[in-house]
Amino acid sequence: MRRILWFLLAAPFLLAFPACGGIDLVTLPERDSVQLTIYNSADLTLAREVRKLTLQKGLNKLSFGWANTLIDPTSLSLRAVEHPDQVELLDVSYPPGVNSEAVWTVRSEIEGEVLVEILFFTSGINWRAFYQATLAPDEKDMLLEGFVRVTNGSGEDYDNAQTRLIVGRIHLLDQIAELAQRSEPFGRPGMAVPVPPAPAVFAERRMAKAQMMDMACEMVAGAAVAPKEIIKEGLSEYFLYTIEGTESIPNGWSKRLPSFKPVRVPVVNLYKYDDRRFGDGVVRRLLYFKNDKDHHLGKTPLPDGQVEVFRALDAEQHLSFEGSQYVKYIPVEQEAEVDLGSTEQVKVEPKLMKMATDRYTFNADKNVTGWDEREDWAIEVKNFRDLPVRVEITRHMKHPHADPVKPAGDCGQFEKKDAQTLRFTLDLQPHETKTFKYTITYHEGKRRDQR
Amino acid sequence: MNPRHLFIIVSLLAAMAATPASARIKLTALPDRAAAIIRLDNPTFTLVEEERVLTLQQGVNQVDFSWKGVSINDDSIRLTPLNEKDQLVLLNVSYPPNEAALVWQVSAPQACNARVRISYLLMNIDRLVTYKGVAAQDESKLNLQSHLVLRNFSGEDFALSKILLNYGEAFEKAVRDGETKQLLFFQKNGLPIQKTFKWDARSKPWDPELVQDNVGIPLYYTLHNSKEKGLGENALWGGKVRVFQQDGHGSTIFLGEDAIGLVPVGDKMELYMGDSRDIVVKQKKTMDRMVNVRRNTDQNVVLYDNEEQIETTIENFKDKPGTIVLTQSIPGEWEMLKCSGAYDLKDHETLEFSIDLKPKDRVTVVMHYTRKNLRP
Repeated sequence: MRRILWFLLAAPFLLAFPACGGIDLVTLPERDSVQLTIYNSADLTLAREVRKLTLQKGLNKLSFGWANTLIDPTSLSLRAVEHPDQVELLDVSYPPGVNSEAVWTVRSEIEGEVLVEILFFTSGINWRAFYQATLAPDEKDMLLEGFVRVTNGSGEDYDNAQTRLIVGRIHLLDQIAELAQRSEPFGRPGMAVPVPPAPAVFAERRMAKAQMMDMACEMVAGAAVAPKEIIKEGLSEYFLYTIEGTESIPNGWSKRLPSFKPVRVPVVNLYKYDDRRFGDGVVRRLLYFKNDKDHHLGKTPLPDGQVEVFRALDAEQHLSFEGSQYVKYIPVEQEAEVDLGSTEQVKVEPKLMKMATDRYTFNADKNVTGWDEREDWAIEVKNFRDLPVRVEITRHMKHPHADPVKPAGDCGQFEKKDAQTLRFTLDLQPHETKTFKYTITYHEGKRRDQR
Repeated sequence: MNPRHLFIIVSLLAAMAATPASARIKLTALPDRAAAIIRLDNPTFTLVEEERVLTLQQGVNQVDFSWKGVSINDDSIRLTPLNEKDQLVLLNVSYPPNEAALVWQVSAPQACNARVRISYLLMNIDRLVTYKGVAAQDESKLNLQSHLVLRNFSGEDFALSKILLNYGEAFEKAVRDGETKQLLFFQKNGLPIQKTFKWDARSKPWDPELVQDNVGIPLYYTLHNSKEKGLGENALWGGKVRVFQQDGHGSTIFLGEDAIGLVPVGDKMELYMGDSRDIVVKQKKTMDRMVNVRRNTDQNVVLYDNEEQIETTIENFKDKPGTIVLTQSIPGEWEMLKCSGAYDLKDHETLEFSIDLKPKDRVTVVMHYTRKNLRP
């Protein structure tokens, strides 16, 4: 790492206030390993370093500096991995007038090398999932490929870091980037914490392109021939993706890694009509599949991300772009919906064919107190595609005070979804048109309680 | 305390009487300071107590206490003799014009070295409390650490001083002006925790399909501040809590953070950690009709009941069990006709269902009730 600096100060400094100008540099310890746990629901990365410190018996001062990085100083912690009973952290001081520096006071009962673990949050590193789906020409299945893309904008180069990605929605009180920019780590008493503007230094400090390319070449040279595996496991409400081996991600660079091996997933093409949800006259094309074994998935949830859907046109692998959508997180065994947008290839046209009122009731003054209102609807469904399609039509009733609905004609599968929602699901052959009818008799006024 | 910004001068009264306040002559040597105590038990104000030895002459002495570059609540300043208590008489306290100072007039029957305690509320120095919890991999236990964060922006450097809280042991620390210091306050390991999901019908969407993003089900950890549960020695101060979890590979992941208020002994600490997207709750109204309608002589409806049925489906897509608390609301006067599960009535219109979910479970709760005596 370039920006994070470590110093082990001489013990006598404890006896007086450490002078800002006079650092008695004893050792600059090397980092043994680094692990990055990167979250995608927040700008947050948990960094864990292991370093070997040479401690003296008695009191030791350790200085940790992070100028021009995006480290949250309130998250800093240190613990001895070896001899935890003999190495005690007494306090952490953030000295006055010195930005981006913490001094740990450590009491050691042993003299010599001790492995310590330093843990902190940083912002500026993020990852996202995205998918590429290629529909078969008959649209009965698709080849689904999943990727993760890790981007390092933290101001730090992370070399040979064990990289882990967290899928899940975390609750944070403060933005790590804001905590990283505070002039006093925990703010000041009795006043709002001022947040200085983001340092421009990151842009200035960007590496020269040639240097970055060198690093990139090193990355490639050091990479294994086969794509790296991502090991996935559940922890609490999160899924932890651990990328095989280590990764070097220089500041400013991104890296794309396959999230899982390409799989052929059976899909259902569903055309939906729901005027309340999508608008009047709009038919949306949606792809459905389930994150389960039957669909050659189902080992882990699929993180939310953009799905780009293509369609294979011919044997020469020409493609057409069908649409894209940012899909929600898909738990194991839950159905996934990819909305490819509105289409003119399937049309649904509900028409009110007749409206009539009947069974009026009157009060003693001969005023109307109740009546029935009958609506006759005809729904015409047209498939202009060369492929068979399934169409789901959702109709909303004005209110639930009505007689049971009995459709007529080829309405496919009919269900009353709730007290005032009707749903019809039809299959249509290529270029087929179907029409079905239903009647709703609403009870108004006094008739609502006279059934 | 470093005598940079606080000054104490003891002089004879005769000098004060003959001189205008703005040009007061301050005589005698500065008394040395004994240990200072910083009391942080009040979340808003910090009380500083310092002991000094005043060399007093026989007669009336004036003790001049002034400060510069620090902010002191001057009404809070107190002088307490620790020896010669019966001999020394504090005659009065006066505040010179346009000065950050006060003058005590102290009468001494004979010359003596009086040990006194001066206490005052000092601004811009306070403490925060932060917590760090590490949950076991199975989320049944938590190791809890509490850190004290001392923030000194008072303008005063404190050499080695005793720092007192309202519980726990005192610390001896030096803290400079502008310095923030964090130290471990207490650590308790193996505290039992409860993990609960919560879904509230009043605030959560009933049909998650209609929502663009996943509808997260809030997840809470609950700890009890009681002796039976490993705590209960003192109230826990409010502060930020960051919770990690052991990952089974010798490392941890960060689960989330929350802010807590004061948790008295016997009370519980509830931490909102984030949202689960592996539990999905859907709710729909499957019946909604007027019944028992009553009309006036004009045949207008004046009173009616409304029969409703609510169906709630909870799907656990995880391969682990869990507990979810569903909160339902039935406003006004109502009667439950049939309910598929037991509930706690939290108040007249709030019902809570606690439901244990098995791995990959799907549970449906149906409430069939009548809202009574409604008026149009």
